[in-house]
Amino acid sequence: MLDNYLPILIFILVGILVGVGPLVLGYLLGPRRPDSEKDSPYECGFAAFESARLKFDVRYYLVAILFIIFDLEIAFLFPWAVALGELGLFAFWAMVVFLGILVVGFIYEWKKGALEWE
Amino acid sequence: MAEKLIFYILAVITLWASVMVITRKNPVHSVLFLVLAFVTSAGLWVLLEAEFLGIVLILVYVGAVMVLFLFVVMMLDIDLATIRAGFVQNLPLAGLIAAIMAVEILLIVGPGNFGLDAFPKPEPLGAEVSNTRELGLLLYSVYIYPVEIAAVILLLAIVAAIRLTLRRRPDTKFIDPAQQVRVRKGPDRVRLVKMAAEDVAPVVDKGDAQ
Amino acid sequence: MIELWNALPVLIQILLKITAIILPLLGLVAYYTYAERKVIGYMQVRIGPNRVGWRGLLQPIADAVKLLMKEIVIPTKADKTLFLLAPMIAIAPALAVWAVFPFDEGLVLADINAGLLYVLALSSLGVYGIIIAGWASNSKYALLGAMRSAAQMVAYEIAMGFALVGVLVAAGSLNLGDIVAAQEGNLLTWFWLPLLPLFGVYLISGVAETNRAPFDVAEGESEIVAGFHVEYSGMAFAVFFLAEYANMVLISALTALLFLGGWLSPLPAAWTEGSWLLSDGFHWLLAKTFFFMFLFLWLRATFPRYRYDQIMRLGWKVFIPITIVWILVVALAVVYRLPPWWSA
Repeated sequence: MLDNYLPILIFILVGILVGVGPLVLGYLLGPRRPDSEKDSPYECGFAAFESARLKFDVRYYLVAILFIIFDLEIAFLFPWAVALGELGLFAFWAMVVFLGILVVGFIYEWKKGALEWE
Repeated sequence: MAEKLIFYILAVITLWASVMVITRKNPVHSVLFLVLAFVTSAGLWVLLEAEFLGIVLILVYVGAVMVLFLFVVMMLDIDLATIRAGFVQNLPLAGLIAAIMAVEILLIVGPGNFGLDAFPKPEPLGAEVSNTRELGLLLYSVYIYPVEIAAVILLLAIVAAIRLTLRRRPDTKFIDPAQQVRVRKGPDRVRLVKMAAEDVAPVVDKGDAQ
Repeated sequence: MIELWNALPVLIQILLKITAIILPLLGLVAYYTYAERKVIGYMQVRIGPNRVGWRGLLQPIADAVKLLMKEIVIPTKADKTLFLLAPMIAIAPALAVWAVFPFDEGLVLADINAGLLYVLALSSLGVYGIIIAGWASNSKYALLGAMRSAAQMVAYEIAMGFALVGVLVAAGSLNLGDIVAAQEGNLLTWFWLPLLPLFGVYLISGVAETNRAPFDVAEGESEIVAGFHVEYSGMAFAVFFLAEYANMVLISALTALLFLGGWLSPLPAAWTEGSWLLSDGFHWLLAKTFFFMFLFLWLRATFPRYRYDQIMRLGWKVFIPITIVWILVVALAVVYRLPPWWSA
């Protein structure tokens, strides 16, 4: 089994190299003429004001938390989906209960307006 | 041989990244080192032939949990000076607690209970064995109750997350664009009403008469 | 020839194979940008690039050389390390996914059992490049674009994950080769038919995941100028560009593999005997992939940009319910062995 993962490891390393290579080439071949106006953050021609690292609506955190929960659900669904053919109807009803419980949470989200974007 | 080499490389990167997590000043860098530690740990799990767990570690922790961490860390205004204020003062107590915890961890996961004697290296599996299928066969037959309990815990997490973070902001000047678009020509718009000019008495300018 | 190949060390063999995947892929990506300009040009009654080489065929090369000679501007107060790291983080997963991609029967670099899980896990890493780029640039537009695109990718990743679970239920395996094998037969036994809603969800989520029009609020050139990569120039920008197009090719190829039978011929095997062109083969996979790649361009030329609240509503309130219901429908069909797809 591990033999199959060796190419993956190498592929990831090569992928990183494909990212590094052009940057290095660009750094070597391109000019470097820093200028305070050129290097200032782009703000439609105005001088930048305030810090660029703004605070964000708490809604973004909520979306991220809900994402984690649904991602975990998917992690539970993967083994189920693969084993379903052998386990048959029992596993099907087990998943109906599992998803049923989570659909309750989904409906709660929906009704509370956590999915509205304003 | 190659396996051992890869193990040591991954292990060294994991340890280095973990140390960096707690020593970096910039919290964003810390989080990214934590991501690196997770990725290399996933590699270690795959080396133990736990491919499902290894990849799910990437999917759930790196792909989801750490994204939330990044969101939080990037957007919070953390004043490093206040956090570091009592550093020297609290150092002895903190060091003591850390030492106690280290001893505890050693007692539990030390060579007495774990290590290669208690848990010998698993026999290499054939290429056709699918980790995920085996896991599914067990989870959805023998361990079905824990799975359903996990669903309830996730439900709890959904409810808790919404209760904690969802609040209507009264000061927001939000206009729903969907409603704006749906305005019909007749009843919803401002109407211009034609009406006769009102009869105003002519102003007599007394200045002119003089 | 084969003896010579076997005599090479394994590491060299693997590296040669990886090169054989990456080089054509990068070429495809380069000419995809050319195709995009040409196709959209013709759709808007223009001719598109036609100066460099015959009918502009050398345009991508000229673009690459130009970008190579440009300065990589690093904004002041930017986090320099992360700023340069972000494009690498964007491209490495986009390429590494191809390690498990089967191009024909048995023609795959790493034939792992958890293939589809690996694909999903790696595509979930794509969001890092964008968030890090947005944050490291120290620019408001970049950060706004990054946050938008992160929230969007996150919502559509769920829909995508659920759609993939549907494919898994239907195929009963995580191995990409086995998933194609499970669709063996003809046009009607491919998974697009029994999984029709999931097919649609997957394709549209794929467009949203790659931040392409009509879901390109992350770039939104008319409002936040270029979103997360506004501060990037020269080769640093090119790497982001490469990653985006590589992801589009990937989504197209995966859709062809998971729902349209990959390298399988649309005709039943009995009709195609003896004909190289009509029977199964890599050329079918290529043709199907090109179709979806064209679809990406067509969508961009046809649809105006979606509003952000509409995007979020589509992801959470439409796609997730559809996929949950359809997973259970498919599961029931699998348990009761509904012919012709799952007849014993």
